Amino acid sequence: MKDEGSRRFGGRSDEEHAVELLRDAGTRLGASQGDPGEFVEHVLARGTDRLFTCDSPLGEVYVGVSERGVRLVGRADLPEEFARRYRERFGRLLSWGTDETTRRLARRVATAFAGEKVEVPADLSGTTPFQRRVLEVVKGIPRGEVRPYAWVAREAGSPRASRAVGTVMANNPVPLVVPCHRVVRNDGTTGSYAFGAEEKVGLLEGEGVPVGELTISPYLATPTTGIFCHATCPNARRIKPANRRRFRSAEAATNAGYRPCRVCRPVVSR
Amino acid sequence: MSMERELEGERDMGSRDPLAGRLADGDPGAPRELVERHHTELLRYARALLHDGPAAEDAVQEAFSKTFAALGKYPKERIENLSFRPWLYRITLNVVRNVWRDRRREVVVAETPERTDERFGDVVSDSSTGPEKKEAWLDALEALRRLSERQQVAVALRYLEDLPYAEIAERTGWPENTCKTLVRRGIGRLGVLLSGRSDAKNGNGGHSR
Repeated sequence: MKDEGSRRFGGRSDEEHAVELLRDAGTRLGASQGDPGEFVEHVLARGTDRLFTCDSPLGEVYVGVSERGVRLVGRADLPEEFARRYRERFGRLLSWGTDETTRRLARRVATAFAGEKVEVPADLSGTTPFQRRVLEVVKGIPRGEVRPYAWVAREAGSPRASRAVGTVMANNPVPLVVPCHRVVRNDGTTGSYAFGAEEKVGLLEGEGVPVGELTISPYLATPTTGIFCHATCPNARRIKPANRRRFRSAEAATNAGYRPCRVCRPVVSR
Repeated sequence: MSMERELEGERDMGSRDPLAGRLADGDPGAPRELVERHHTELLRYARALLHDGPAAEDAVQEAFSKTFAALGKYPKERIENLSFRPWLYRITLNVVRNVWRDRRREVVVAETPERTDERFGDVVSDSSTGPEKKEAWLDALEALRRLSERQQVAVALRYLEDLPYAEIAERTGWPENTCKTLVRRGIGRLGVLLSGRSDAKNGNGGHSR
């Protein structure tokens, strides 16, 4: 084959022959392109994290997602501002989530923010083990219920770390996905929030939490069972109004002879 | 590889790439634009060096991933002053080199025409030319692989990409005269290899099979 080629191009030098074949190869290589749009999507999905906007009870928020799930939720005046914050925090670029996987996740997030019970994957890989335990505990607090900082600390395996829990809540990268607004002060008052204390009250009222009542009596007990609960525990809500016994603290309830509910597990400090 | 040292393609002030500014600024539309602007030429480049469509696509995807990973960590001022084209070519070449190295590690299998045809399935099935010519251009690519790495890069850019020397120099970061020398020597050796003369068998450079 090679000898034959050499003879066929015999009039020219070997170099010219080589150049001609290479030019031919170049034309053919250029012609064998797949779908360029699909290629661009693959490159972006592999090399960048994705961004979308979403309606929420806090208004329109930006949502940054990695392959594993939601990594950052927040408000910003411009997408650039949010993307810069994301890059500083995670060292990754954000590109608009134009692919089907991101669109599907965006619909899921919108459904969850609208109050429906759907699981939203969160990527907490940029956090310390303690932060992650705390965030995972808080992620499990259902809509319509609240828990005090001390409870989160105990559930996360660090019962004396109430203050540190407060710090984790203040720096929560994924508000609403991890509902840090459902963590309140130990006396039943709602406390502060990254988006403002009034926003926190508004969010909780929107979820049906009786915010005003909680500040008076964060714990409820019933003499029929001798059990006391967090006031937003589903068991507490079933107590007949006539049987409701209100307590300002878990200690007061214990002193009155009640034992903690096994479902909502109120913390009794000694 | 001394010429290949960290030339990151930092640009003179005044000739800044507006896309670099937007990437530095965090514009979420900018990464797509960077890919759309450069992926075709990088794919051709990787195909020219790897002779394998899927491997080239994977290499370019990886090159962009590395690019974006770097951009995620660079300070704003550094991104603003980047000149993307030479940088992307350099990163792509690094990925291609890794593929070459992995291939050398694989058990050496004699390359049969069937295997070559299979890899170029879509291209070879083009029926516009006769069967002899098809194999001739594949032969040329096979021979290209036997050149030294830098000769391969320079020759591929010159004749597969059809670039003038000034642009080859821009994309590789090598001086223009070096590019000319690499191409001249590379083509000289290719001519020998493709003519089938006996001195082609004990050549230098390139990786043996």
